Amino acid sequence: MEFVISHLVKSYGSKKVLKDVDFVFEEGKIYGLLGRNGSGKTTFFNCINRDIDIDAGEFYVRDGEGEKRSLEPEDIGYLVSTPTVPEFMTGREFLKFFLEVHEEIKPDKSIEEYFDYMMIPEEDRDSLLKDYSHGTKNKMQMLLNIIAAPKLMLLDEPLTTLDVVIAEEMKKVIRSQKKGRITIFSTHLLDVAVDLCDVIVLLNHGRLELIDKNDLGDEDFKKKIIEALKDQNDD
Amino acid sequence: MINEFFNTLFKVIHLRSVIGYNSLVFALKKTPLIGRLIPEKLYGAKLLKVIYWVIHVIKEVLKLFIGKILGLGIIYVISIFLKSEFVKLDLADGMSEGNLFASYALLMFICYALFGMVLNTPVFKCTTEKEYLVFMLRMNARKLNTTLFVYDIAKLFIGYLIAGIVAIIGGAPFWLWLGIPVLGVFIKLFGAGLFAFLFRRKNAKSKQMRMGGAFITVMCVIGCIAFPALFVFVANAYIVPLSVLLIVSGVLMLLGVWGLRQLKIFDSSLHRRALRDNVVKNEVVRREAESKANTDRFKKLSASGNVKRDKKGFEYLNALFVRRHRKMLIVKPVVFVLLVLSVIFLVIIGFIMSYKEEFGAENTIKMVSNNLINLVMLRPYSDDLRPFEAWSATEFFRWVIKYNLLGMIIPVAIADNSFKVTQAMYINCDNSLMTFSFFKKRDKIIKLFDIRVKQLVRFNLLPALSFGLFADLILFYTGGQEYHLQYLVTLIIPGILSVIYSTTNLTLYYLFQPFTTTISVKSGAYAIARTIQAVFYCLIFWIPMPSPILLGVLSALAVLVIFFARKLVYKFAPRTWKVQS
Repeated sequence: MEFVISHLVKSYGSKKVLKDVDFVFEEGKIYGLLGRNGSGKTTFFNCINRDIDIDAGEFYVRDGEGEKRSLEPEDIGYLVSTPTVPEFMTGREFLKFFLEVHEEIKPDKSIEEYFDYMMIPEEDRDSLLKDYSHGTKNKMQMLLNIIAAPKLMLLDEPLTTLDVVIAEEMKKVIRSQKKGRITIFSTHLLDVAVDLCDVIVLLNHGRLELIDKNDLGDEDFKKKIIEALKDQNDD
Repeated sequence: MINEFFNTLFKVIHLRSVIGYNSLVFALKKTPLIGRLIPEKLYGAKLLKVIYWVIHVIKEVLKLFIGKILGLGIIYVISIFLKSEFVKLDLADGMSEGNLFASYALLMFICYALFGMVLNTPVFKCTTEKEYLVFMLRMNARKLNTTLFVYDIAKLFIGYLIAGIVAIIGGAPFWLWLGIPVLGVFIKLFGAGLFAFLFRRKNAKSKQMRMGGAFITVMCVIGCIAFPALFVFVANAYIVPLSVLLIVSGVLMLLGVWGLRQLKIFDSSLHRRALRDNVVKNEVVRREAESKANTDRFKKLSASGNVKRDKKGFEYLNALFVRRHRKMLIVKPVVFVLLVLSVIFLVIIGFIMSYKEEFGAENTIKMVSNNLINLVMLRPYSDDLRPFEAWSATEFFRWVIKYNLLGMIIPVAIADNSFKVTQAMYINCDNSLMTFSFFKKRDKIIKLFDIRVKQLVRFNLLPALSFGLFADLILFYTGGQEYHLQYLVTLIIPGILSVIYSTTNLTLYYLFQPFTTTISVKSGAYAIARTIQAVFYCLIFWIPMPSPILLGVLSALAVLVIFFARKLVYKFAPRTWKVQS
């Protein structure tokens, strides 16, 4: 399966945020979408999630046989940078509700096992979500996206505000979930992208540019990316 | 120095104009339909900026007329009236008409100016343009405040002089025409000087230099007592001798000189500090605090309680939502029900007490027991001792209940809690679930919509039915029902109106999703739709219609509203069901 974006354009007034995004994402890989603050990473995700309308272009899914089909809402899992959860529910209640409305999902674990898998502390499981820490809310959001098993996982800077321990736990989960889906992970932190992702894609001048993965680990690699990003700022 | 004054003044007015113009363009760009047509370049359109600048100057002049001229003009008009009345009644013995006019005008002006001095001393208030100029563009705070203060005083002086034409026409002495504007300037100086003095003392004690809310409140209370007292004083033909008023004016002018001295020693750093204490706390943080308070009132959740095990999926979600928000959702309907029931109770008790007074306890017991049976049997009120008589007032009430139940839409709309419920739905539930794709699927949206319509109707139905009960009480006392089931029809109509109102409100929420994460309404289209809805109800509420026909029409309308609401939500909500930034 591939996720194909063809000549995607998005502007806010006279400002063109996405100028001509043309890219093919492949199944089973974690893509690090790297860009400076304000470069349009969230706009890119919002376009794909259809939260905002695009000005031109298209995106679709190409299956194993090369058949083209449109990207459906259920294909997408979207983890926003500031996790929002229904605060009047407990973690357990939210999970129960989520499993019930997704009748098509045949859960391979019990609710307790899911909590264990996401390393959500036992004392939090029956507390209202409004009392959860930022990191635990993030884990809950991630857990639900994992259960829904979307083909395309959009992760919008999910690690930026997490503490070291939870960030490491989340990285572990993201890596374990990459099989059978496309994961696009946006970040402005180069080290995080290098550490977690199989492929680095730069959002530069409103376009996506692939960075050769053979360069990963190269000493000059960081310099090249920083130069590219600087160049974008000067634009 | 004059050049510097005009230079600073020009900068301030220019900045005000720029802020006003940009805000106008921004508001236009956010307006539905028109917004898309407005180009970004409009922010830089020079010709339009010049036009706006001219409008801005006209606005400044108008403000001058409305504020200054109107205030003093009214005082002069009242003085003319009092003078003529008192001369006519021969009460002003030994006083010339001019002095009599001056006495009234001066007394009222001193009270008016002192009151205004406390409530309206803008010299240390930090407006948006002051915030930009002082804290962003690093302009000298004292220079800016002084320039604007002088500008204010000049406007006040000219405005008062223009208003003085009324005084001259009314026969006031010439010295009053010139004297009141001068006194007004000195009182203004006293006011600003007094604040400067208080601020300096606060600063010496390292306290915040803020405009005292408590001080202003006390002055308002004094004003509320003083103004009626002044009215009584004047109405009883008392006159404060002109000499006393002139002495008071002299003292105030001396205090004005003191105020000027206080302003002179209030240096630039103190001006800056006073502005900072008033801007940061009053404007910026207030906005943040308001939005936080806005969202916080929706965060008071009851952690306890569970729901029945048989509830699943969206039913389960809704049941939990209701349980955890029960205080927020139930308080308003319950208050309205209690209010109406209390009124019903008081009406009945009042009636019984008056009956007892007229006919004694024994007859009262008989009347009550007989009419309890009548009530249960759905018969009209009846009594031999005080039979129902169709006099004009009772006939009027009866006519209202028989033909004007559409008017119930107004109390039903007031008691309706849908807006707050939709806000709570958004901030605590939908806002987060909208990030999940399943929540935006048509079948899921309509499923939850159906559950919520029922829930919302249940919440709003009780107050509506209590209004119906009140209408039934009037029907009972004014001759009872004229046809079978009239009591029931009267009871049900407000209920159906409530169903229509609740459904419409929920539909508007689903179609526009207008709320931001701070619960403010961002969608102009939603605001317009709600205004149209309100105007529509205001237009139709007085239309007379016999209750049975009204019931038929409303029932059909309710079915249509629900049918089309579901169609619209099913078709359009997946597009609008998004988090507003």
